[in-house]
This record gives sequence, C-alpha cells and structure tokens, in this order.
Amino acid sequence: MGRKSIEFAVGVFVILAVLAFVMLTFKVSGLTDYVSSGGYDLSADFNNIGGLKNNAPVSVGGVKVGQVTDITLDPTTFQAKVSIHMNSDNTKLPVDTSARILTQGLLGANYIGLSPGGMPQNFKNGDQIQTTYSALVLENLISQYLFSTSNKKSGSQS
Amino acid sequence: MIKRIQSLGANTLDVVHKIGRAGVMIFRTLVRVPRPVKAFPLLIQQLYSVGVLSLIIIIVSGGFIGMVVALQGYNTLVQFGATSELGPLLALSVVRELGPVVTGLLFAGRAGSALTAEIGLMKATEQLDSMEMIGVDPLWRVISPRFWAGVICMPLLAIIFIAVAILGGYVVGVDWLGVDSGTFWSSMQSSVSFHTDLLNGIIKSVVFGVVVSWIAVYQGFDCYPTAEGIGRATTRTVVYSSLAILGLDFVLTAMMMGGW
Amino acid sequence: METEDYVIIENLRFTRGERRIFDDINLRIPRGKITAIMGPSGTGKTTLLKLISAQLRPQSGCVDVDGKKIYDLSRKELFAARRDMGLLFQSGALFTSLSVYDNVAFPLRVHTNLSEVMIHDLVLLKLEAVGLRGACDLMPSELSGGMARRVALARTIALDPKLVMYDEPFTGQDPISMGVIVKLIKALNDALELTSIIVSHDVEETRSIADYIYVISDGKVIGEGTPEALDASDSPEVKQFMHGLPDGPVPFHYPANELKQDLLGAK
Repeated sequence: MGRKSIEFAVGVFVILAVLAFVMLTFKVSGLTDYVSSGGYDLSADFNNIGGLKNNAPVSVGGVKVGQVTDITLDPTTFQAKVSIHMNSDNTKLPVDTSARILTQGLLGANYIGLSPGGMPQNFKNGDQIQTTYSALVLENLISQYLFSTSNKKSGSQS
Repeated sequence: MIKRIQSLGANTLDVVHKIGRAGVMIFRTLVRVPRPVKAFPLLIQQLYSVGVLSLIIIIVSGGFIGMVVALQGYNTLVQFGATSELGPLLALSVVRELGPVVTGLLFAGRAGSALTAEIGLMKATEQLDSMEMIGVDPLWRVISPRFWAGVICMPLLAIIFIAVAILGGYVVGVDWLGVDSGTFWSSMQSSVSFHTDLLNGIIKSVVFGVVVSWIAVYQGFDCYPTAEGIGRATTRTVVYSSLAILGLDFVLTAMMMGGW
Repeated sequence: METEDYVIIENLRFTRGERRIFDDINLRIPRGKITAIMGPSGTGKTTLLKLISAQLRPQSGCVDVDGKKIYDLSRKELFAARRDMGLLFQSGALFTSLSVYDNVAFPLRVHTNLSEVMIHDLVLLKLEAVGLRGACDLMPSELSGGMARRVALARTIALDPKLVMYDEPFTGQDPISMGVIVKLIKALNDALELTSIIVSHDVEETRSIADYIYVISDGKVIGEGTPEALDASDSPEVKQFMHGLPDGPVPFHYPANELKQDLLGAK
C-alpha cells in the first residue's frame, strides 16, 4: 500500500472518529443544554422531593425550559433546597409562579413543573420560588386512601 | 509440601520480576523521545495497521451489540410499559460500560495479538538485534510508534463503536420495534450526561488503550525467540489484556461512581 | 598509530544464568585478515560476536576494538564506533517491511546525511558487489535464503566498515550459494582491506579462506593457528573437531548406565 493511501486511510479514520464524537456529544448527551445563551438561576424549597435527581428537566406547560442543577438539605429547616437553571433569558416567569414535583408517565422519573402566576413582576436571577408542592409519595397516598375508606365506613355505620 | 510453598514463592518473585522488566521497558520507550520528523511517518504507518485495520471488526461488533441491547432491553421494558426508557437504557449501557470494555477486548484480540506477533517475529529473526547493531535503538523505531498508535487508536475506536451501537439500537428500537423516535432521543439526552458518562467512558478507553498496548508490546519484546515462544506470547497478550481490562473497568467504575 | 591487531580480547568472562560461557579467554584478531572462530554448536560463538559489538556486556575482562576500549565508550561514541563494524546475522535479518533497496539504504540513512541521489548510487554499487543489483525492488519475502543473505551482506558493508563479523555464514546453504558466499567473503576482505571474523562450525569451507583459526570449546580456547598448523595438531580435542571424528573427547554416547544393567534390569 502506497504511503499516500495509508495517510489517506488514517485521515478518514480520524475524521470518522471525530464525526462519531460530535454525534455522541450533541445527539446522545444533549450537550446543547450546557451551551445555552445566558439563562438565570432560581431556587425552591420542598418538603419532599421524592425521586427528583440532578439534571431533571424543569418545564412550563410540558415544555422544557431548564434543569435542576443542585439538590441539598437545609440543616435548619430540614427542607430540600433545589437549585434550578433556566436556559434562556427570554423565559420570564411571574413572581407568584409555583413549582410542583411531577412524574413522567406512571413510573417515570421526577421532574419539576412550573405553573405561572399572574403578577406583573418577573423573577430575577437568584430569586426563590415561594409556592412549592412536594412530590406525591405512594405510601402516603395509600394510607390516606385506607384512612378515608375506614372513616367512610365507620361514618356511614353510625 | 515445602516444595509447593517454595515454588509459589518463586513464581510470585518471577511475576514481580517480569512486571519490573515491563516497567523498565516502557520507561525507556517513553523517555527517549524520538526526533519527530523521522518518527511521524512510522506513527502514521502504525495508526493504519493498528487502527484502520481494526475498523471493520469494531463497526460490525458495535452494530450488533447495539441491536442486541435494544432488543433485549425492549423485551424487558415492555413488561413495565416503560419502553420510552429504551433510549437511556441503550445509551448508558453502551457509553458507560459496553463501549470501552468490548472495544478494549476486541482491540486486545485483534490489534494486541498482531502487535505481539509482529514484534516477536522481529525478535526471533534477529531484526531487532541487527537494528541495534546498525546503531538504531529498536525501542524507539519499533516499539514506541506501536505503543503510541495503540494509545491513540483505542479511544477513537471506542467512540466509533459507541456511535455505531447507538445507531444500531435506534434501527432496532425505532424502525423495527416501534418506539417513538422523538422519545427515544429526548429521554436519552436527558439521562446521558456529557461529563459523567461520555467523558468518563472515553477516559476508560484511554486507560485500556495504554494497558493493552503496553502488554502487547512488552510480550512481543520479551518473548522467547522461537516460533513456539511467539505463539505463547501472543496468547499471553490476549489473556492478560482481557483480565486487566475487566479488572480495571471495575476499579474505574467504582472511582467514577464514587465521585472523584 | 594503528595497532597490529584490530580486536584484542583480554580475560573475558561471561556467564548467562548458571552457565559460564566464557572463562578468561584471550583472543587477538589481526588487522586485514580473515580470522575464524570455530567450535562445537552451543559454545557461545554468536555470543562472542555480540560481546565484541557491545550488544552484551561481560562480567569481567575487556575488549579493545581498533585501539578503543568499547565498554568504556559513551552512547554517542558507541554509535560512532558501530559505524565501523558490520555484523552479518545467521538468518540475514533483513527488515521484512522494507524493500531490498531500503534495507541496504537503512544504515546510510541512519549514519549519514547524504542526499537520496548519492544514497541511490551507493546502494546500487553495494548490491552490484554481491551480484544482486537487479533485485533492488523486491521485498525480502520474495528472496531465496541465499539471496537474502547476500542482500544482508550488502547492507553490512553499506557504510564501508573496517570490521565485518559473519555469524555462521555457511550454515544451510546449497553448494552453489556456498561457493558464492565463500568467494564474496574473500573478495570483500581483500578489496576493501577489511578485518573479517567468521564464526562457523563448517570446517571445510572455513579452512579454505581463513588465515588464522581459533577453536573454542567449553568457554576456553583449545587450539589456535593457521589451518595447516591445526591439521597437524596433536591435541585430541582439536583433532576430533577438525577431522570430524564421531568419537573422542566429545563422546558419542550420552552418559548412561552399563548396557547390561539396562537390559537385565528391564526384564
């Protein structure tokens, strides 16, 4: 094999690897989220975050607008402090927007859904979302249901 | 009984001795940096024989592995109604584990054994000796380009393997089994992290590349210069490389998962 | 001031593992002549060549090549000294990935800064000397054993060394190639004023061109002299070797019990 064709083959090999890497970076790992233009950060405290994980999506009306960047436990209030990064500066939310922890599908991962309020002022970088709803924990639901059924029974009897 | 203990001790010392020799060899190879002008064409030639010639087996294997993981994954996920998670299942298993490890094993079997056999043959036919006699250090003319080619090619091959595997899984999952294309990619993107998953996978493949190339090159260089010796050295390369890859994979995974 | 002997080996001691290969041996290789080192297989004749070229180091003793103590040389000086030495390996040891032309050009490209045009002429001249100029574009795998060895010889003399060492050049050759090699060694030695060392156990061929012979066995020199002197030697070891006698100091029978014992014991 001539020198020229060997060098050509090696060049093709390297290009192929670079293309594969680009494909992996953007299509597979969704790196575009990290190369966003600006954006701003918010925080929210929850009593119970359920199975919420880092990098979980944050959506408004089902549209992803950001992701969870950090989850820590506040040592004094024992609440979960969740930090959120909003991807775009253009997504402006009123200051009375509420945050709720929802589940994708029936068994899916947790994510944060934001329901916009009606106030004229908008969140600024570093603001905290005041109204939060914790995740629904299955065991609590079941005990609630059992409790309410037994209540109904005894109630209807008496 | 005493003899058994004695031979165990002797064997252990022998192993330590051999690792020491391997260390000295690689140290001498790395320390004597060759003149770039003369060494570059040698490197290109080795990138060709080590990397380009391994492409076919990597691409074919990658395709099949991706397809099998998608198929098996689907069969299990469908029982939970969770087929939307096929994308993450495929991507995470391939990027984190199957990509670097299977590529490493295939690389050890195809390229590693070829390197050992080639170097061993050069040793047996006295080519390395005559090179030294003419005044050229075989460590930098023969060993060094092959070692560096292996280290460079492994991550490149692993990346190609991962990409092909995911494409293969896409074909099976979306085109054949009917998983929604949008869900496939979006759930994959939200679960695969660039830093923890992709970069760590690439780091793993670099480590495997260093280990396999080192073992392959050392076994060839140190083999008994007969036909039988070359054969045994080649087998040793494949076995030791495979064990090292699997062992290191566990260690690296533990380190990475533990958050280093 | 040129010394009369090109290579002086003094009190050389070399062991490999448990075996003492050379035990305080002394040799002198005269300048400009063909000296043969002969002995039974396995006495370490190839090792001796490697010791002279400093590929191996002895436990004690010193080797003087052209007035220089080679074990005291630095890496750079050794590189320069190797330019004046050539070693023709038993199998030729051509680089299988390079063509015949590139093989012969290899030492020239390593040691000199000559232009490709000059190297081209030199390579062709060397190949002409061994009669293989027409084969310059072939690959080593396309050559016969004898041809490969001749190309290797061309490579060995590419830099016009002053010392050429031949490791078993006659082994396994057919009569024609044998004749060719013998002629080449003699012709090159005389034409280029080389000092040649031939390591061989082929008595017939070696005697025909050697000026002086050393016979080595068990790490010691057991006989030395011109071919004629050795023929007339009284020493039983030398006699057995030179005349190819099957039994003598090197016994025919491998050590064993008495035959009667083995036969009766088996019953």
